[in-house]
Formats: sequence, structure tokens, C-alpha cells
Amino acid sequence: MIMRLIKTTTVALGLGLAISSHSQAEDLRFTVWTGSAAHLGMLNEFADGFRETHPDVNVQFETIPFGDYIQKLTLQIGGGNPPDLGWMLEGAAPTFIESNVLQDVGPTLTANTEYQLDDFADSAMGLWYKDDALYGVPFSTSPFVVFYNADLFEEAGLDNPSELAARGDWTWETLRESAVQLADASNGQYGFESMDGQGYDSRVWDTLVPLIRAYGGDVWEGDTCTLDSPEAVQAVELYHDMIFADQSAVPPGEMGDFFNGQSALTYTQISRASKLDDADFDWGIAPMPSGPAGASPIIGQAAIVVFKGSPNAELATEFLAYMTSQIGVERMAEYFPPARTSVLASTAFLNSNPRLNEAMMTVVGEQIEHGRVLPAHERLPMIKSATRGTLDRLWLPDVDVAEVLGDACRRIEREL
Amino acid sequence: MSSTPVVTTPTNRSAHFYESLSGWLFISPLLTGFCLFFVGPLVAIFVYSLTEWNILSQQSSFVGLENYRDILFENPEFWEVLRNSLVFAAGLVPLNVALALVLALALNRAFHGVIVFRTLFFAPVVTAGAAWAIVWTFLLQKESGGINQMLALVGIDGPNWLRQPDWAMVSVIVTRVLKNVGLNMILYLAALQTIPRDYAEAATLDGAGRWHIFRHLTWPMLAPTTLVISIVTVVGSLKVFDHIYLMTGGGPENATLVLAYYIYERAFEFFEVGYASALAVVLFFVTLGLTLAQWLMKKESN
Repeated sequence: MIMRLIKTTTVALGLGLAISSHSQAEDLRFTVWTGSAAHLGMLNEFADGFRETHPDVNVQFETIPFGDYIQKLTLQIGGGNPPDLGWMLEGAAPTFIESNVLQDVGPTLTANTEYQLDDFADSAMGLWYKDDALYGVPFSTSPFVVFYNADLFEEAGLDNPSELAARGDWTWETLRESAVQLADASNGQYGFESMDGQGYDSRVWDTLVPLIRAYGGDVWEGDTCTLDSPEAVQAVELYHDMIFADQSAVPPGEMGDFFNGQSALTYTQISRASKLDDADFDWGIAPMPSGPAGASPIIGQAAIVVFKGSPNAELATEFLAYMTSQIGVERMAEYFPPARTSVLASTAFLNSNPRLNEAMMTVVGEQIEHGRVLPAHERLPMIKSATRGTLDRLWLPDVDVAEVLGDACRRIEREL
Repeated sequence: MSSTPVVTTPTNRSAHFYESLSGWLFISPLLTGFCLFFVGPLVAIFVYSLTEWNILSQQSSFVGLENYRDILFENPEFWEVLRNSLVFAAGLVPLNVALALVLALALNRAFHGVIVFRTLFFAPVVTAGAAWAIVWTFLLQKESGGINQMLALVGIDGPNWLRQPDWAMVSVIVTRVLKNVGLNMILYLAALQTIPRDYAEAATLDGAGRWHIFRHLTWPMLAPTTLVISIVTVVGSLKVFDHIYLMTGGGPENATLVLAYYIYERAFEFFEVGYASALAVVLFFVTLGLTLAQWLMKKESN
């Protein structure tokens, strides 16, 4: 009895090994952080489509939850078992590029004349080039846009951000004025919420950078920290006043979710529009407000990369080219805003997102075409960690903003 | 399965050998797992801690004790983080043990609804830690949080619990105690129920009051339980991670940045596995030291 069991198990194991080693040669493993059935359905369409030209190739999408994504990916690479392809977040890109674990896909894509690599907006590609090598192709270029509660603006008899933008009056100053008029702090109603309610903690940079750039500053230029420039100080002081003087912005330690109707205005990435499916108010979107330095749109990005350790890197690059071809990008535009200018200009794009009408999509398209990514650096995790404690002090009522930003700059420069 | 008892005599060497062999065979599955998944990684951590190893770029070099030198002498942040960990433990352990004892004493009686109360205090232990932490971040909001709204009813303007450095530490300690106190309470309850009632009765006959009975009878008899509880609680408090990660992310102003969180950041955000391993070894020795200290103090007082 026992001997039979052992024999059966051995045979089964042997067969299993034989099958898996047989199929491994043609399997491409592709890591993503989406678990959405709709997204995975679309991705599997690509796998099926690719099989028409490559009948032996089986692409398998593997979901790793967003919060663990970089960590798990790193462990897979560290363990000598990298996926063939994967999604890559903008914040992690410089570190991965610097660590030399990504494949240069430039030569293959340039050699492919149908692919038209130069169709991608220049502003969208900056992060992925290093020394003429191309380490990824953005599949989702998601701009920051302002969402507003149209009902609240109408009740208050105010011009909404779209109307202000159409007149060229949509600035951080007018945003501040609107927020003051729409806030009613004693009733838990706020004028403005920053970045998904995480704008003081994990996403503090997403709060600071759009403001500072609109005022003509930035966080660093080359090896010099410019976070304490007069422009940056002025910008941050404006936001500090919105919290403490006007009491119109959701203060730290408080939640004032725009998507539940608790704030009149917010800005975040366009993909959050899906959170408004059940909203009981009318809403609209507008470009990011401009400042003394003009408009300063911001984009968040994710790209498809090929891992250097993949034994099928060449085949994986072909699949990347297939997914990010013009047709592929048009297909993905339903969920992921594209970076190809030809797609941005097409009517297919204007109708690609069922939640957004053409006027809204025009705003999205403009923001993508001119948007810049958030500051990137291969030591970004260290920079964020080194300044975390200091930047927390910005959100105290009586603080010298210039002094705090100066302190933050000293810490940033040590990392640059 | 039927078996006949094996008769062994100390003089029968071969029977003795087979007995010990079968003993080893019986524990071998556990032992294999223990070596593979516990001793192995433990040894590996010590080895890694002597390297400078970036897990992402796969660059690794042997640096001897350099990581330890850096941690102890060059890295002021480490001392700040260690202090936070010790403050956290010093706040959490006495509060947890005292509260567990008070609850156990109060619930070690037969009255209507005692089961309900015991269940109530034990419920947080079986609640998911993440859910617990997130619910508390809502309750501890400055304006619309439940705690401050209750305080406002009695005219107290509550602080911004999770955004003021001192209060943030207090908040994470207290919410952590409430989460885990039920377990220690149950351990104390179990111990209390093993104390024969005759002792207290005899003491009462001799004229001892309730305080005297507690001080000179119950408390000494609970000593072994107290030792176990405080060791386990100290170890648990030094390893705290998820609670902090979800409630404060180490802030504000790094006030709640504890060692376990710092290790996580070094390993999985900076990818500095060698350095993180050295930090983990330091945490290991800090924990070991505190455990031994408790053990010795107990021995001394016996």
C-alpha cells in the first residue's frame, strides 16, 4: 500500500516536472498590480492576440497587490527568478534603472518601423531614457486633475473651476477663494482636500510639488535642493494659510473625503473618477490651477518593462512592442490614459472612457501632453525618509515655513 | 494501529538505542522544519549582517563589522529609533500587565454576565490587527473623531492625537494595549483559577483583609504567570510593526518610528539587506537582553 503510494507520487511528480519544464520555454510571466477582472480580461486579450503570430507563446499575468509590489518584485529579482515583463511605477523607476536590472528595449523598438517610437510624447518618456537606452514604455500616463463638486459651486452661486479655466482665471489664488467660500468647518464641510487624504503623510510630495512648480520652483535642480527658494516658500505658505488661517483645507489628522461629498474640491489622478460612480452629486474636472509661473500640469506614470534576467528577454520585448503599438494603446485607453500623441488626438481616445465626456477628455489629453512627472531620483526612498520628520513640522499652526523648508533642503542635499 | 508497549531496561543498550532513534524519528518532521525555517534564516541573518548587500542590484561584498560600527557610532537616527522602541515598550508593558491583572481579578468571580465581559475584552485579540488600527485612526481624528467628540461633551478640547508627537506615541501605545490585553487577561484568569480557594479562606479566618490576601497570597502565586506575560509582552512590543505602519507611518516627526519599522524601511525600501540584517541582529540582542534581565530579576526576588 505504502509502496504504491510512493510510486504514484514519484510518477506524478516526475510528470509534473516534465510538463512544467516543457511549457516554461514558451511561457512569459508578466507581473501587474491590478486584480480587477476588467483589467485582467483586457490584458488576456493581448495574450490571445499575441498567440496569433506566436502560437507557442503563453503570456501569464500575475497579480501582486500594489502595496507589496516593489518589495515582492525585488525579492523575485534578488532570488534569481525575475518575471519576464512587469509594470513599473515611476517612483521606483530610477532605482531599478540604476540597479541595472531592466532590459534596454530601445534597439528593438527603433528597428521596428511600424512601431513609431517617436509617436510617444517627449514629456512622457523622460523618466525611461538613460544615456540613450530605453528601459520601459509608459502604458498609463495619468494626469493630476482637479475634481470639483458642481452642486456645491452652483448652490453657492460661484463660477466653477471649468468656467474659471475657460476664462483663464483658474489659479491657486482663485482656488483658495473658492475653497474659503465653500468651506463650513463646523459642519465638517471642507473646501479643499489634497491627494486622496494622504497629502500630509505618504503623499506629501504630491501636495507640495504641484504648488511649488506652479509658483516657478521645484524640489531640486541637479545636485542643488531648491525646496527653500522664495517661490517654493510662497507656494507652501499659501497652502498653510488655507489650512490654518482660512480653515478651508482638510487639516492634518482629519478626513474630508471629496468622493463622499465632504470637500468641494480636490486634485488627484484621473483614474479616481471610478470612485464617483455612486456619487450623489454632480461633478466635473478641470486642469491643475496655474500660478505666477503659469500652468504646471503633473502626470503620474506606469510603464511596461522587460527584466534583464529573463531568459526570454527578446520575446518579452516583442510582446511589449505588441501591447504598446498604436492599436494596443488605443485598446488600453479605456482604462489607462495613453502617451502616444496620435492616440491622444484621436476621437477614439475622446470616447474611450465611459465616465468622462469629450470636454473632460480634452482636459485630460492636454494635461498628459504637457505634464511632467514628479521629481525622480534613484535615491528617492532615502530622500523621502530623510525629510519625513522635517516635513511633518510644516503642518503645525505656527510654523516658519521658510525655516522648515531650509532644514528639509539640508537633508535632501546630503542624499543628492 | 495497535502497539505493544516496549519494555526497556537501562542495561539493554540496543533497546535503548532503538527507543531514542524512534524518538528522533518522531520529532524529525518538526525538527527539519525548525532548522529549515527558523535556525537557517537566523544564521543567515547573522551572515548577511556582515555584508553590504543590495538585493536589487545583486551587489554584495563582505564588510565585517562595518554595519555594526555604522549603526552604533555613525548613525544618530538609530539611537532615536531605539529610544522610541524602548519608550513604546516602557509604556506598553506595565499598562498591559496591570490592566490585564485588574480585569482578570474583576472577572474572576461568578456574577451575571461575566461571560459577556470576558468575551468583550477578549474580542479585540481575535480582531484583524489592520482593521483595528484603521478604525482607531478614524476615532482619533482631531475634529470629527469619536474620542474628541466625547471629550467635547465634557468640555475638553482633545488634542490632535495622531499628529502631535507626544500624543501619537500615547495613542499607539493605548490602542495597542486595548488590542492585546485580553490575551494576558485570559492567562491571568487561568492562573487565578488554579489557586485553591482554601488558602484565601484560611487567610480570612486568620483575619487577613482583601488587600492582604492579594498582596501576600494571590500576587506571589501569580508570579510565574506574571513572568511569562511580561516576557511575551516585552518581546511583542519590540517587534511591533503593522500597528505603527498603519496608524502613524512612523510620524509625526519620527516620534513613533520604532526599530521594526526602521528595519523594514532599510530592507524593503532602501534594499540595503546587509544593513537591515545588522539592525535585526541588534534588535535580537536588545530583546534577548531585556528578557534575561527580567528572568534574573525574578530569580533575585525569589
